[in-house]
Amino acid sequence: MSRSIKKGPYVHESLLKKIKAMNAKNEKKVVKTWSRASTILPNFVGHTIAVHDGRKHVPVYITEDMVGHKLGEFAPTRSFRGHGGSEKATSLK
Amino acid sequence: MTDAKLIAIGKAVAPHGVRGDVRVIPLTDFPDRFRKTKKVQLEDGRTLDIEGVKYHNQYVHIKFRGIDDRDAAQALKGKLLKVDRADLVKLPEGHYYIFDIVGLKVFDEAGANLGTVADVLPTGANDVYITEREGQKPLLIPAIKDVVKEIDVPGGKMTVRLQEEWD
Repeated sequence: MSRSIKKGPYVHESLLKKIKAMNAKNEKKVVKTWSRASTILPNFVGHTIAVHDGRKHVPVYITEDMVGHKLGEFAPTRSFRGHGGSEKATSLK
Repeated sequence: MTDAKLIAIGKAVAPHGVRGDVRVIPLTDFPDRFRKTKKVQLEDGRTLDIEGVKYHNQYVHIKFRGIDDRDAAQALKGKLLKVDRADLVKLPEGHYYIFDIVGLKVFDEAGANLGTVADVLPTGANDVYITEREGQKPLLIPAIKDVVKEIDVPGGKMTVRLQEEWD
């Protein structure tokens, strides 16, 4: 059963408080959180949130198309070490 | 930065059928490249000519010249298929191969050495450059333009402006 609309999306209280405080002062700091279940709200966009993956805090830059998803979706808990020296690319967002 | 001349583009995982096709997992961001690739090299130095390519789900079925039965295809199981560095797909501006990023020295804007990139972690959002530091926990650098100011692959260095953390 999905979460009741009356309650609104779940966001950890202290995380939301920090984001609101940063938006009010128009500043950008990395916020550490263990709350992987928190929903990404529109006012998170442009912030970098360090989401715990069980071992370390993975810095995740929030963009518009991530709104509505949970923070945990962007901090994988299992890492495949892969085959070194393969044709995989990376770029700056 | 790797000095390796050969770069893996796929891994043979199983034979497919009885006519010598090999099932390959692509280890590349450009699986379509198999259609254009004429030959691949194995780790033992052998070169194989590609005769035909078919795509099936996440696999590529490749027919190599001279591999004509299931036993010969089975013998390739576990082998990495590599191509010369010069034959890699050309990347657009601002894109880098992960093997070029790994090993870069990381400096802040004041010129202080922060460590060396040991790995790149894809997250679904931005990539994260895992930077090893002596005697400290690894530094995780988000691959975003606000943080990574310059990547100089030939010079072997990366310049970053780290964001302040919430206290």
